[in-house]
Amino acid sequence: MPLDYQIAERTLANGLRVVVSEDHSVPNVTVNLWVKVGSRHEVEGRTGFAHLFEHLMFQGSRNVASGEHFSAIMGAGGRLNATTWFDRTNYFETVPRGAMDLALWMEADRHGYLLDAVNQENLDNQRDVVKEEKRQSYDNVPYGNAIIDIYAAIFPKDHPYHHATIGSMEDLDAASVQDVHEFFRRYYGPNNTVLTLVGDLTPDEGFDAAERYFGSLPTIATDARALAYPLPPLPGPLRDEHIEVVPSDRLHVAFRLPVDNTPEFFASSVAMDIIGGLATSRLYQRLVRREQIANGVSAHTMGLVDGVSLGFIGIDVADGCSADVVEAAACEELVRFAAEGPSDVEMESAKAQSERGWLSSLASQEERADHICHHVALHGDSGYINTFLDRLDEVTAAEVQQAAAWWLVPESRAVVAYLKQERVAQ
Amino acid sequence: MTQHESVVERPEVSAPEPWSFPEAQRAELANGLGVVSYDIPGQYVISVRLAVPMPLDREPREREGIATIMARTLDEGTARHTAEEFAQLLERKGIALGAGVSESGLIVDVDVPKRNLGEALDLLSQAVREPVFPGNEVSRHIKIRLAEIDHEHAVPGQRAALEFISTYFDPAERASRPGAGTKATISAITPADVAAFHTANVVPCGATLVVAGDLSQVDVVSEVEDALGSWRGAALEAVESPEAARAADAARIVFLDRPDSVQTEFYIGCPGPDRRVEGGWAAYQVLGFVVGGSPSARIDAVLREDKGFTYGIRSGFRPRRHGGVFLTSGSVRADSTTEALGLLLEILDKAREGFTEAETQAGVDFIGRTAPGRYATADTVADEAAGLSLEGLTTEFTTASLRALADVDAQVLTKAYRRYVTGEWTVIIVGDASLYAEGVRGLSRGEVAILPA
Repeated sequence: MPLDYQIAERTLANGLRVVVSEDHSVPNVTVNLWVKVGSRHEVEGRTGFAHLFEHLMFQGSRNVASGEHFSAIMGAGGRLNATTWFDRTNYFETVPRGAMDLALWMEADRHGYLLDAVNQENLDNQRDVVKEEKRQSYDNVPYGNAIIDIYAAIFPKDHPYHHATIGSMEDLDAASVQDVHEFFRRYYGPNNTVLTLVGDLTPDEGFDAAERYFGSLPTIATDARALAYPLPPLPGPLRDEHIEVVPSDRLHVAFRLPVDNTPEFFASSVAMDIIGGLATSRLYQRLVRREQIANGVSAHTMGLVDGVSLGFIGIDVADGCSADVVEAAACEELVRFAAEGPSDVEMESAKAQSERGWLSSLASQEERADHICHHVALHGDSGYINTFLDRLDEVTAAEVQQAAAWWLVPESRAVVAYLKQERVAQ
Repeated sequence: MTQHESVVERPEVSAPEPWSFPEAQRAELANGLGVVSYDIPGQYVISVRLAVPMPLDREPREREGIATIMARTLDEGTARHTAEEFAQLLERKGIALGAGVSESGLIVDVDVPKRNLGEALDLLSQAVREPVFPGNEVSRHIKIRLAEIDHEHAVPGQRAALEFISTYFDPAERASRPGAGTKATISAITPADVAAFHTANVVPCGATLVVAGDLSQVDVVSEVEDALGSWRGAALEAVESPEAARAADAARIVFLDRPDSVQTEFYIGCPGPDRRVEGGWAAYQVLGFVVGGSPSARIDAVLREDKGFTYGIRSGFRPRRHGGVFLTSGSVRADSTTEALGLLLEILDKAREGFTEAETQAGVDFIGRTAPGRYATADTVADEAAGLSLEGLTTEFTTASLRALADVDAQVLTKAYRRYVTGEWTVIIVGDASLYAEGVRGLSRGEVAILPA
């Protein structure tokens, strides 16, 4: 089914790229901004800073009081948030059409004039909040730090993706108001930002509103560094073992993958699905259904821009079974898949499930706006949401096999193992 | 810095456009299966939900969790296909099929690209009507559920929730025990038990099939009739169980000791209403938002934005089929445990003194004006309709509740809060008791029982 979501695009004189996707199905507008700065831009000693900075964007700006961003937008019937990731920071709200101007005005105020409101007090407060976010999501739950360990194992030290977006407590402690000023001046400007509006508006209404509120924001000097050199697969297997108080053994088998938005990445992503993502995946069939040595298998693929992407397979080892036996079986399946490639049915299944997943993710204005911003900000392609399925459809079984044979072999794996403490101690 | 480049004047918010919940088309098949559809143009993934009323107290006491095991094994082998074959049939057509149970019943959910709706309904029908519950699949899912219980106990929020129901509800109530069963009851389940439970409970009469999405050129009733029209099963006599009773000693503090925790988890509750509450449900939706629904709500304005103790604490009224619970939950920095709990209970108690018109209006506008976005997609509409059908309600309830927001003012809100919130809190704490239990005792909020987490 060819997709034909309406896309109109314009770049303002100050460099702000604006995309409008008209959709009158509900009387809402989603405002979504991607700023091309994320944790990959952080420097040593300041990990976690891009995310901490994102929190400060809710603490007021020149004409907006601290906390008012939440209260004013929610009080107008909006839902909003922001997220930070390796490659970018995004800010978004979905509001009734009649509150779109307020949302854009507030976004422009903080994207243009945040520093008027930043002070030691709100930095200290949000530093505390972010530390609790880290404790809640990583430090106080079983396996919580596994994802951080995966990044550290799979990406070399000094690589932009070696450290997690959440950063370290020490580095969060070290962040200063001065850092906030420098970071804002360096990265926050219209020419380093993409604005997408999806919903109950015409392209002209969107472009006019963007010009009205963002048109006066000054262009910043961008000093985009060159992307990191493309990383090949790991030259040999790595293992990072943690013996902890966890309810059961869990293995994370991680791989480097090719850069996002390339045929090679799409092929490797299909391979990850067939190996570990589908309910009929090789690993699920063998480990969970047939041998029953694992309770669950999941595959995760993260497309990234800086020379490399990431894929990993999570395996929950069944009680009384050996993590080593499970890992050996998984490696056998990797070798087998690399040698024989996918069957027709596997290709059909992976593509069918990807299609449903993609269409589901486009079902809401919020996610559609996010996909548009993503592909304009990181790949310069505003039409991606309409063309992705066609590109995926072009992936052949031979390409999937090739990708697997190069990227997804046991010799190139990093295993982050969380093993149950009491059993090992016996 | 000069002011001249400042952005233009702050715009006013204009009134929202009229909107109404998607309109339902209703039909009933001869076998008693209700069919409800929502045509939502542009929603290319169709969401199908089969809701079968099945109160959990129908589970045999010594086999609790059997409904969950049944739900998880519906598609793990049918009269015509093995578990692996069935999984493949689903995936080749891009179908996601899952099933789960709540206090009120079973919901099987299916999402499928529009062109494969027919195949999806056929496979749904096979899973619901012809499951054979093979021994190795049932035993596999029992093992997985047993492992899941260990995982639930290891996650502080989930651990707190489990302790909450056993502390809050009278031990004679089904609601006091985990919906998906305990290790003892799960271990006792046999494939024959599951098959018998399925035959007795999963029947068309009284069940509702919801179909939502872009339904242009789809004859929903005819498609459903083809797939499920010949489904038979004797309807069970409907027995309405009353509201689950609260335990006589529910108003107390239980501190689950989880040594070395870097945060402390709170799970705090008292009685609340169900959706049919006199005076309307709308006020309770607004209350959840005003008390603990955002960073600017009463709780986080203090605990997050002022004190920096938490990433966020949420409050809300959780309706059950009869009665409900007002819950507040979240985690705080460990060394703030005592102060945070004191503040939290003070905020919750003090809210009895009343709400301002401004915060009431903000809550009313948030709940009302976010509705078009919250119900914009096929899956959210289908979920709402299916969930309500198990309570004997339709999405007319959703529409009416949204309309009733117009009558919610500060006085209504205050009255609604006072009606349920009397300060008799059930408080569950998961954290390092050796460091913080004494401080909690010092708050003089009642006896503090310390138990292992």
